[in-house]
Amino acid sequence: MSTSDVTRPAPPSMFGAARRVFELSFGEMLWSRRTIFMALVVGGPVLLALIFRVVESLGMPAMRVNGVRVAGSSVFGVMIWMLYVRFIVPVLGVFYGTALMADEVEDKTITYLFTRPIPRGAVLLGKYLAYLACTSLVVLPSVMLTYFLVVPFSEVPGTFLSVVLDLGILGLGLAVYGALFAFVGARLKRPIVSGLIFAFGWEQLALALPGYLRKFTVAHYLQALVPHAMPSDGALSVIQGLFRQTPGASVALAWLAVFLLGFLWLAMRTVSRREYVLEQ
Amino acid sequence: MTSKTRYFVLTAFGILALGLTTGLVASLAGLPVAFSRAAGPDDLNYVPAQAVAVAYANVQEVMASELRQRLRRLEPDTADRDEFEAKTGVNIERDIDTVVAALLSGPQAGSDSSRPLVVVRGRFDQVRIEGLAREHGAAIEDYQGVRMIAHTGDGDKQTMALGFIEPGALALGSAEAVRGAIDAKRSGRNVLSNTELMRLVGDLNASNAWVVGRFDAMAGKAGLPDELQRRVPALSWFSAAGHLNGGITGTFKAEAKDDEAATNLRDMLRGVVAMAKLQAGDKPGMKAIVDSLQLGGEGKIVAVGFSVPAEMFDALEAMKPRVKGQRPADLR
Repeated sequence: MSTSDVTRPAPPSMFGAARRVFELSFGEMLWSRRTIFMALVVGGPVLLALIFRVVESLGMPAMRVNGVRVAGSSVFGVMIWMLYVRFIVPVLGVFYGTALMADEVEDKTITYLFTRPIPRGAVLLGKYLAYLACTSLVVLPSVMLTYFLVVPFSEVPGTFLSVVLDLGILGLGLAVYGALFAFVGARLKRPIVSGLIFAFGWEQLALALPGYLRKFTVAHYLQALVPHAMPSDGALSVIQGLFRQTPGASVALAWLAVFLLGFLWLAMRTVSRREYVLEQ
Repeated sequence: MTSKTRYFVLTAFGILALGLTTGLVASLAGLPVAFSRAAGPDDLNYVPAQAVAVAYANVQEVMASELRQRLRRLEPDTADRDEFEAKTGVNIERDIDTVVAALLSGPQAGSDSSRPLVVVRGRFDQVRIEGLAREHGAAIEDYQGVRMIAHTGDGDKQTMALGFIEPGALALGSAEAVRGAIDAKRSGRNVLSNTELMRLVGDLNASNAWVVGRFDAMAGKAGLPDELQRRVPALSWFSAAGHLNGGITGTFKAEAKDDEAATNLRDMLRGVVAMAKLQAGDKPGMKAIVDSLQLGGEGKIVAVGFSVPAEMFDALEAMKPRVKGQRPADLR
């Protein structure tokens, strides 16, 4: 039998390859040290909600504003804004998104991935999907637990639609921030610092400034979709609320889709073209 | 995928699926009533689902409050109350525990046929009350095993009724409303399934007197002038709650139809509070009340809290002998 008779298996397609990388990366990502950080970040709201429930069940109002007891649904709205939309989603996007390629470079394992007969872009796509599954499976159940702990059952029918919207918005936020920071991680040398500056420096500042700068942030479009009233918890929030110009839901969704697809494409393109030099 | 990962994924999906299913079923089938201890007093079971306003008073707590004891000392005489007790055998202070009142919407939307309903819990002498009713021409009837006294006065549009709905509880109101109360309890189709109203009732548990209702229905009943109704920003629901002990603390909450209407109402109330503060500048009693006014709420909710301290009633008591000797003109 000559060598020409040996039929080599065809290399997998982009999505087939991405699926294989996803399967490999998902478990790795889920049980990494970073997950401990994620569990702490996501466990915070659940713990707060549990304390709220215990205090309320003792017959004491857990939260009062100007002497008026704050209803559970309002407390949940504040938690979605302050803990999830403003902190958890961007921070997970930064820590996981920037690490998608950076970890492989740091561990010097990127060579093994790139020598496989699969498109390089599929490596990033598979890892991105693993990130999305991993973070969604931790963040979204935590939102659900927080909701049922904070909101009394009698208020569920009136508020349930908003929690379904919250789940969708947080999933979309994780996807967009993940794509953005996957690009940052693939492109820059110290991606985590740049990511933190973008999420907690640039975005906060741009939202507080009058003018069009806010249009260059993800938060501007993501926050436009949140169904709860924006809390005024500090000077920065008050200024942001003052200059807030909320785009319509369709405009916000369209821009978030553009960011998601655009940054994901840019990230895949960068990984395909860039020569990663491993430090010895 | 390792088994550890598989378990994790299943658990996460399980929490999400359980939460979504529970929420969906609760929204569509009104499960909150079945699975949670409903907010508010148990007598809400007697209030039909079409109630547009519900009020509650814990009469025993109010009567036992320090404030009530003080006011009692200021009362001139109790002749009317004594006469009522002599005829019915009911001493309002001693025999009535709680009162739940409701306004039920008429059968046709927009019609002026709202029916009042009051459910009173306490200790009653049924024989004596029936005897008194018969003396005044009332008829005794039986509805679903409940003994009812019905009476139509000369020129009255509605037949008024009193039903002994259970030992220690009676329902008063239009005959239709009392029958509705009996049906509501039996069928379980009562105000507890009105999720919008019950959401507001859930926030009032610590108060010993409260009222919750649909603003448009109540504004029509209260006879507010059209001009005022037009000027008040569009409100959907309101609630007012008070707690009496040494003093009075209370909150008034209104839910506007949208955020803009709520902001307008907050601005309007801010103006009213500022004006009241100006007016109350040299009146110490008024100043204490006005200073206690607190404006709050977020989104569609507008809330006003107030507190009348016990010291304020001390001041009123101290003023009483002086007021007695003065003509009304002297007080100005």
